[in-house]
Amino acid sequence: MKSEQIQQALADITAETDPTLKHLKLASLVSAVFRERGIELVVVGGSAIEFYTEGAYVSGDLDMCLISPARLDVRSRQERMGCLGATGGPRNWQVAGQYVDILGEVETLAQTPFDELQAPYGPVRLVSPEDLLVERILISVYPHPHEPAALCARKLIAVALSGQVELDWQEARRLATRPEYDILPALEKLVGEVAHELGKPSPYHT
Amino acid sequence: MNSENPVPIIPKGRPISWEDWLNGRRARRETGNRVAPEIIRRSSSSSDRRLRRLFNGERGLLFKKTKEL
Repeated sequence: MKSEQIQQALADITAETDPTLKHLKLASLVSAVFRERGIELVVVGGSAIEFYTEGAYVSGDLDMCLISPARLDVRSRQERMGCLGATGGPRNWQVAGQYVDILGEVETLAQTPFDELQAPYGPVRLVSPEDLLVERILISVYPHPHEPAALCARKLIAVALSGQVELDWQEARRLATRPEYDILPALEKLVGEVAHELGKPSPYHT
Repeated sequence: MNSENPVPIIPKGRPISWEDWLNGRRARRETGNRVAPEIIRRSSSSSDRRLRRLFNGERGLLFKKTKEL
């Protein structure tokens, strides 16, 4: 991207008052400037959940992880974020009126691909909804009950059951049985509850 | 998008366009609101200090109302 294009994008993002759009546009711009150096990023955590659900969950920081390369040295991270006039580092920056975290290699166990959203400044990769779902359910029950995570999971289940987000239920089940999560009963219970509330069949009821 | 389901789906294995994603926002919010409170932003986190400093005491910008999506 040319400097002028970046400045126009930053002005647009800075002026954006819708938190979800602001995050998505910034994720698009950050992805684009890293992609220019062959570095692929993916949105994880609360921002990814927000893009899938419109759940009014996201706060003022955007979390992104590395897909490839798996590691990126500090100077390269500073150089790329410096293109955006970002301040701070080496893992957290302030830019266009919000915070961006560039974390390490993405943690994913799902065999499903990352989803992709064609955003104004280029494609944005989203961690798969299966990964997000089992992660949130784990956080909701372990090591202690945590209601915000359960509410996120409920909204994600709801949009998936309603055909608004494509989610591979068998893949989510497979992930839930893995020792890294080990939350199959909690997954089946929550999916059953949400399905009942929506008047839809649970994909886990035979 | 198809005639039976006018709400664009966020698909697997192919990109969703910006327009389709925008067009599905309200429906996704409404669906989630059927099973959880409308706003579920956490009241605190380890990032509290920096967030509240940047957002005038809040943890982020105010959300758009569902009818505005």
